[in-house]
Amino acid sequence: MSGAEGARAANGNPRRSFFQRQLEELGARFSILEDGPLATDFGTATAEREQARQLGLCDLSSLPRIGFKGANTAAWLAGRGVALPAQPHRLARIEDGLLACRLSPGEALLLSQPWGASRLIKDVERAWSIESAGLCFPVPRRDSHAWLALVGARVPAMLTKICGIDFRPHKFADLTLAQTQVARTSAIVARADVEGTGCWHLLFDSASAAYMWQVLIDAMSEFDGRPVGCAALAPPGSAL
Amino acid sequence: MKIMPCPLNGPRNIQEFICRGEVRIPPAADASAEAWAEYLFYRENKAGIVREWWCHLPTTFWFIAERDTRTDEIIRTYTFDALDESGSGR
Repeated sequence: MSGAEGARAANGNPRRSFFQRQLEELGARFSILEDGPLATDFGTATAEREQARQLGLCDLSSLPRIGFKGANTAAWLAGRGVALPAQPHRLARIEDGLLACRLSPGEALLLSQPWGASRLIKDVERAWSIESAGLCFPVPRRDSHAWLALVGARVPAMLTKICGIDFRPHKFADLTLAQTQVARTSAIVARADVEGTGCWHLLFDSASAAYMWQVLIDAMSEFDGRPVGCAALAPPGSAL
Repeated sequence: MKIMPCPLNGPRNIQEFICRGEVRIPPAADASAEAWAEYLFYRENKAGIVREWWCHLPTTFWFIAERDTRTDEIIRTYTFDALDESGSGR
């Protein structure tokens, strides 16, 4: 589906990515999800897959995500089939590719796999009630936080220009996260490699989306980085 | 780059933090007006080691830092849980 068609198809759903305009200008093709159109590719899927090995920027803002906060968060989520890592600043891969991030002892963030909506996130969201969850409260992240994935071997070098954390693979292991500032904007950076390639998920205030897109495109240009569709992150043969 | 050792996030660029002033223990609810005025309107502003509230902005995590105002050296940091009733860090 082309950018214009994607925009038309999304008309029935007021939700769209914070980067919709930028993606349409680049000729993105969209897959329509419950939470809005997701850019799957830019018409060059094979080249994008190759690009993603080096340095790619992928918008995942239309995928489900939710946070929970409170002393009972880990216990309540465990009862719903989401086992958080024991330590803060770690994440775990759960059923259907869901990434379960532990931001602090009492705060969690659940992210879909990068190539499709996680059913488990919706199930957990629907299961929550103030009566059943106790000291565990939802922290909606769909509208507050934009979500980009930075993928490829050159990501750590590029990030040194805009962030003080050392993201080199031997210093910042797979399934580790940091809450820090990227380009002077507060952000969560979570590493969850895909298909053996380093992948750093970047979540930040959605009001800064246009600014951050511009900053990242500029920072990537030195390393021949380009936007890629989420198909470039998917395992071969996976349904988008 | 000046580094702040955050109890939750580890060593970080101090630009990620904001300082919100001295740690002060409020007087009892039935304390005198003078004691409440002292608490509300006056600060010690000491030249030496002070205990201050700091916040890590990306996580909104609040903690206490002991800092020498003469040298701007950060002595140590800890969470509020580690502050005992006498007001000193355990």
